[in-house]
Amino acid sequence: MDLSFSIWISMAMFSIGIIGVLAKRNALIFFLSIELMLNASNLLFVAFANQWGNQIGLIWVFFILVVAAAEAAVGLAIIIHLFRSKQVVDVDQFNELKG
Amino acid sequence: MSNIVQWTLGVVLVCSSLGIVLARNPVHASLSFLLTLLTLATYYLQLSAQFIAVMQVLVYAGAILVIFMFVIVLFQDAHYQLDQYKPKSSSILLLAAASAFLLTLAVLGRNFASVSPSQHRLPDDFGSVQSIGKLLYVDFFFPFEAIVLLFLVAVVGALYIARKGT
Amino acid sequence: MEYILGLAVLLPLVGFLLLMAASPHISRRLASIVACTAVLISFLCFLGVLYNYSTNAMKPFDVVFYRWIPLPEIDADMGFHLDALSIVMSLIMTGIGFLIHVYSIGYMEHDEDYARYFACMNLFIFSMLMLVLAGNLAQLFIGWEGVGLASYLLIGFWYTRPAAAAAATKAFIVNRIGDAGLLVGLLLIFRLFGTSNIEEIASRATASPIITVLTLLLFWGAIGKSAQMPLHVWLPDAMEGPTPVSALIHAATMVTAGVYLVVRFHALFMLAPITLNVIAILGSVTAFYAALSAVGQTDLKRVLAYSTVSQLGLMFLACGIGAFYAAMFHLTTHAFVKALLFLSAGNVIHMMQGTTNMEKMGGLMKKFPFTHWFFLIGVLSMSAVPLFAAFYSKDLILEQTHLVGDDSLFFLGLLTTALTAFYLLRAYMLTFLGPMKLDEKIAKAIREAPKVMLIPVLILALLAIFGGLLGSTFDHVAYLEEFLASIGIVLAREEPSTSVYLLPETWMSIGATTLGFLIAIGFYLYYGEYLRSSWNWLRRSFYIDELYQKTIVNPLSSVSRFFSGWMEPAIFEGSINGAVKTTNQSAHLLQTMQSGQIRSYVAWMAIGMAVLYLFLGI
Repeated sequence: MDLSFSIWISMAMFSIGIIGVLAKRNALIFFLSIELMLNASNLLFVAFANQWGNQIGLIWVFFILVVAAAEAAVGLAIIIHLFRSKQVVDVDQFNELKG
Repeated sequence: MSNIVQWTLGVVLVCSSLGIVLARNPVHASLSFLLTLLTLATYYLQLSAQFIAVMQVLVYAGAILVIFMFVIVLFQDAHYQLDQYKPKSSSILLLAAASAFLLTLAVLGRNFASVSPSQHRLPDDFGSVQSIGKLLYVDFFFPFEAIVLLFLVAVVGALYIARKGT
Repeated sequence: MEYILGLAVLLPLVGFLLLMAASPHISRRLASIVACTAVLISFLCFLGVLYNYSTNAMKPFDVVFYRWIPLPEIDADMGFHLDALSIVMSLIMTGIGFLIHVYSIGYMEHDEDYARYFACMNLFIFSMLMLVLAGNLAQLFIGWEGVGLASYLLIGFWYTRPAAAAAATKAFIVNRIGDAGLLVGLLLIFRLFGTSNIEEIASRATASPIITVLTLLLFWGAIGKSAQMPLHVWLPDAMEGPTPVSALIHAATMVTAGVYLVVRFHALFMLAPITLNVIAILGSVTAFYAALSAVGQTDLKRVLAYSTVSQLGLMFLACGIGAFYAAMFHLTTHAFVKALLFLSAGNVIHMMQGTTNMEKMGGLMKKFPFTHWFFLIGVLSMSAVPLFAAFYSKDLILEQTHLVGDDSLFFLGLLTTALTAFYLLRAYMLTFLGPMKLDEKIAKAIREAPKVMLIPVLILALLAIFGGLLGSTFDHVAYLEEFLASIGIVLAREEPSTSVYLLPETWMSIGATTLGFLIAIGFYLYYGEYLRSSWNWLRRSFYIDELYQKTIVNPLSSVSRFFSGWMEPAIFEGSINGAVKTTNQSAHLLQTMQSGQIRSYVAWMAIGMAVLYLFLGI
């Protein structure tokens, strides 16, 4: 597998994830795009671990996976909480921290 | 041969990622996500990272995706109310940000256009459960336990945040 | 000895501080007691010092209280330098000061700001003592500025009157112009001699062109303080202050500080003959000019003011020909006589509720039986009538001028004497003789001054008559001359004999005085009306004030108006306001970034990331 190919794919996924974060107003799709970005970075790590023959890259992926899981749990809990107060899933409406 | 495999997987990955972002229905988006995850797992297998591939399926596709689907289904009525509201963020800003980022990636990516493939062969137990396990439990034991603690905190936190009542 | 000196000098300062602090609450009686006692004790202390000094073989000595500026080139201490000259000056000041303080109790009795007046008077006495007792130039300068300040405070004592406030400002500013010269001279001295101790300077000086420059600068400072031309314009206007103030500061003591400075540095001045010439010429010209101006005045106090300028000119003439002792002698007698003249005039003015215009007075002889005698004594003394005090001193100056060989200046001095006699007698006659010009109501209320105002005047009158004995040389060497000779202040030429009446100069000066009297009496008897009026040129003293106003004051005013009216708001305030506005606007601009929108934040982060990657990557 070409390393450069993996890098391109990873970058493509990452950019799609960023565009998703910027473009979608639905909080859940927003979150999903963030997970997509995490997956893109995972791919990069694995590709490089393959390239250099170093298993530390895979350990990193392991940790990122675990953290992503924890973060997803907590993030969704927060979204549920917010939904209870505002009854919408639009991220633009949650702008209390302005000024 | 590996060329066809990698190109197929690559195309599928990109398309399914686009599918997440472009889908109208959030359920469709999450299904796209599922496709992305499985394709990624295959890609990892191609890169000789067996343990990671299995973990990807188990954790991401099996747990995280499921949580997402639960919440999406929980809010299914709210998804259609989105059209009532006007977007409040400046679109120009978002467009500018996206283009800036893409530009950057394009510029940086050119540097990696020519990387020669690896010269040395991978060891036989590369990416296997035993070797990863040895690394985790011997060399990286402290981060491992720290991650476990993090998980605990996340679970407790999530339960607390999402409870009923103020 | 140090304690006595310290007590003598610091008591007036304490008086000043106390009275200033307590001025609204203190009673009149207490204020006057505090002030007068301070000066009296000072005077008694100086009498004691005099006794000690003369029985101690007349050795000058220094008392150091405090190492003030131990820097190598300046080396100034706070202390007192006691020698014959400073003792003479201090005695004059505290003695006459005390008499004037007592007089002021009566003069200021109707005034509101009683305590402040006495506080400022005490401040003046303290500053003047600092000046004359200073052993180094830095301390002298402190006293110099201090008397300027006290003069400002006292001239503008009735500060609600615009004329008084303007006069005080004018006095201070013109003084300042002189002080600029003094300051440059001081710096030059630091550079040249490396010390500020007066004795050291005197011993280290050698004749060179730079000494001429230095002495000219010092003299410029003396001009400012002693109201000589061209800086004389403040003294006539300074008569806006209360009459005791005019007596103390502008007749007897402060204006003599310039003369004191020149006499103190006589060693330096003797090394610069050019400067001495300048001093002599300037002094005599000023004396003549001031005498002319005094002839044309209609205000009683202004006559006396111009008279002071004239007599100071004579003192500077004496310095300029090298007869420093004559200058000091004349300073002493002039102090007595001028104070006498001012205070007796003050008696009249006090009763007339502040009118000083002689055109409104006349025939007051019956109303003021004592005062008019005192004023007459002053007139006779100042006009150098033989046997009165100022005769000896003025005659000494004229005689020295002639002996030195300066005939033109001698002639100028003679003319000045004649004019002095004329205008002083004119003032007396307009005020006290002739028909009364007041209406009956005011005339009934006038009576002779109270005892508290009469007794100091009486003492001064006695001094004006007998004070000449200090320096008279009738078959013995004068006391004062011997006293001052111990530190080298002597005459320019020794007198040919000790009998004063046989010299031709004496007869010429008596002749000049008599001429002046006769002309005055002649006018009074035959041309009474002419006596009262005057030419505008003389009254406005040759329009010098107007000249200064047009050429100096007005351009400076418009420059300062330009700066304060346009430059300051537009540029300085404008730039500050501009900075404020810019900060506010940029803050507003940046505030729009904090919208609370997550997606905007992500967008900014992406942009930031992009910029960072591009910078690091390229």
